[in-house]
Amino acid sequence: MSVPHNGEWARVHPVSPLVRGWIALAAIAFVFGRNIVEDLVGLRGGDGSESGASAPQGTVLLIGIAVLAGILLIIAVGFFLSWRFTRYQVTEEHVRVHSGIVFRQQRQARLDRVQAIDIIQPLLARLFGLAELRFEVADAGESAVRLAFLKLDDAQQLRTMILNRASGAAATDPDASGPADGDPHAGDNMLSTHGAKPAAAGAAGGRPRPGAAEAPEQPILELRPGRVVAATLLSGTTLFLLAGLACAVVITAVTGEPVTLAVMVPLLFGTVGGYWSEFSTSFNFRAAVSRDGIRVRYGLLDTRTQTVPPGRIQAVAVRQSPLWRLTGWYRVSVNVAGYGDGASSEGQARTKLLPAGTLPEVFAILALVLPEPGTDRPADVFTAGITGRGADHGFTTTPRRARWIAPLAWRRNGFTLTDTAVLVRSGALWRVLSVVPHARTQSMALEQGPLRRRFDTADLVLHSTAGPVHPRVRKIDTETVHRLFLEQAVRARDARRRDRTARWNRPAGASSAAPAVPGPANAVDPASKEFPHEQQ
Amino acid sequence: MSSAAIDPADLNWEHISPRYLTVRLIGWAVEAVVTVALACIPLALRAAGVWPSAPDWLAWGLPALAAAAFVWRAVLLPRQVRAVGYAERNEDFLLRSGIFYQRTLVVPYGRMQYVDVTVGPLERAFGLCSLKLHTAAPGTNAVLPGLPAAEGARLREHLSERGETQLAGL
Repeated sequence: MSVPHNGEWARVHPVSPLVRGWIALAAIAFVFGRNIVEDLVGLRGGDGSESGASAPQGTVLLIGIAVLAGILLIIAVGFFLSWRFTRYQVTEEHVRVHSGIVFRQQRQARLDRVQAIDIIQPLLARLFGLAELRFEVADAGESAVRLAFLKLDDAQQLRTMILNRASGAAATDPDASGPADGDPHAGDNMLSTHGAKPAAAGAAGGRPRPGAAEAPEQPILELRPGRVVAATLLSGTTLFLLAGLACAVVITAVTGEPVTLAVMVPLLFGTVGGYWSEFSTSFNFRAAVSRDGIRVRYGLLDTRTQTVPPGRIQAVAVRQSPLWRLTGWYRVSVNVAGYGDGASSEGQARTKLLPAGTLPEVFAILALVLPEPGTDRPADVFTAGITGRGADHGFTTTPRRARWIAPLAWRRNGFTLTDTAVLVRSGALWRVLSVVPHARTQSMALEQGPLRRRFDTADLVLHSTAGPVHPRVRKIDTETVHRLFLEQAVRARDARRRDRTARWNRPAGASSAAPAVPGPANAVDPASKEFPHEQQ
Repeated sequence: MSSAAIDPADLNWEHISPRYLTVRLIGWAVEAVVTVALACIPLALRAAGVWPSAPDWLAWGLPALAAAAFVWRAVLLPRQVRAVGYAERNEDFLLRSGIFYQRTLVVPYGRMQYVDVTVGPLERAFGLCSLKLHTAAPGTNAVLPGLPAAEGARLREHLSERGETQLAGL
């Protein structure tokens, strides 16, 4: 089996249903296994009085085995059919998946709407050398297209091909639709699950396919296990644990009775779960950059490789929880349309762009997200945003008169503007710097409640796609924030017009030119000259 | 009307139909009757002798509290409805709402993914509809209730048209 190039239909790997459904199989094996073992034990004991003495134990055993065989057969047929009925196709414009035995589902997603491509290897799939490919479009819910499972090589080839076509680098069709912002139909059909059978599967076939070379990668950073362990132990989970223990001590002191184990067990479970998900999703974290965007890899048992093409990051936040101040570490998380809101632990893992890094590492990552910081002194401005307080480097903070409604954070709360992005700073204990590129601003709202009105301040909320970053400029002087609101609307509009990341590699002018096999010179320069990449 | 401090100046705010106040008041009345009736349960139980020991503060206080809350809301409703306004600019759509908690929202046409027009039974009876703008951000809670049906249809067409010509990628 290999990758379907020119729009022919292909199937996922035959083992896939087994890898997906192994938990059900394990459960059945467990239930039956236990029964059979118990029966055998009963037989050996020679005690046939428990279940109707008329049926000899041997018959019961045979019936059990027959039932088991029947169930296994049904499952096997189900697996076979589900494999048989799942087909996928990649054309120049779309990726389509047909699935389902009784309830058929036909789903297609436009390649130029790609927001991210993940290759996921759950533990069992890793043993088989298989991988799942997820293709995300801007739909905050479920993944647009999931191909589970393909051979790892095939998944990677497919990813390369999709990225090549989506980026415009492989555009061989002179009629291919232009950049999305000039295309009147671009928005109406981002993800459609419609029943129309594709007229000609080979519509896009027959065209000479450019060599689908994987875009060369330049590694940016990787985290050592020691860092991951330390970062996990110093994470918010520890604060949670300490708070829980403190509560237990106080309760014990007040009531004079020791807190029972039953109370502590949920706390411990929560803590261990928190540590585990943090550790296992940060383990072996590596970030790299290629022509096709940012690529991160991580995972202990389940491994993931995520590719986010340029311009797909809607907002980025640099956070520091109190304990990380001891070590000077920060977390970088991002909003990517299609990655969802990061509420689940999987969502949290996917939106992490740097689990725990030093300031220079944060800058290295920010340089990828924001190739043009839009300021002459990015190091100073962003450092002020990440750790600073007060009005240094152009930050506008909560006015002094309003310090009563933000006693700790009033000097932290603030914003500043660069030519390309808004920096929103907040949080005195849990420090957050949110950055929203002007071109990625969706909508904005000015909000003012009675308390803020009393102090003549207001909030500006920058709406971003679902994700862990919720930029809100807090408690700024009403007039100032009002001006920001109006000016930002204009800035966002202008930036949107200039934005050309929809087809990030489309060669200017000739679209039918031979695809430029990118030398390293073509790749995005990770050490963007403007950003303080090497600053220590 | 008293335009709030956070509203952009020199903008011509359009207001929603005054009939929407009637819709809201009907909804309010139904809600008020049900809630006050529920709040009267302890009183009724005491009167019926099922729960003779029900304390006074509960038997009388609960209905009184509920009634007071609803009277307060009724006082606010006309102002809340008047506070809802919208304005079309060349590049974006502005929407304001709220008296105590004021909110002014700007939605660029190029960011709109789609426009919803919904009509409930009560709204239909008054010839009204609600318009909702969707962007890729879930935080964009841009609902414009109480539009006359014709105005709603006009806005929908108008917004979709502008959205199409100015649509940007994400």
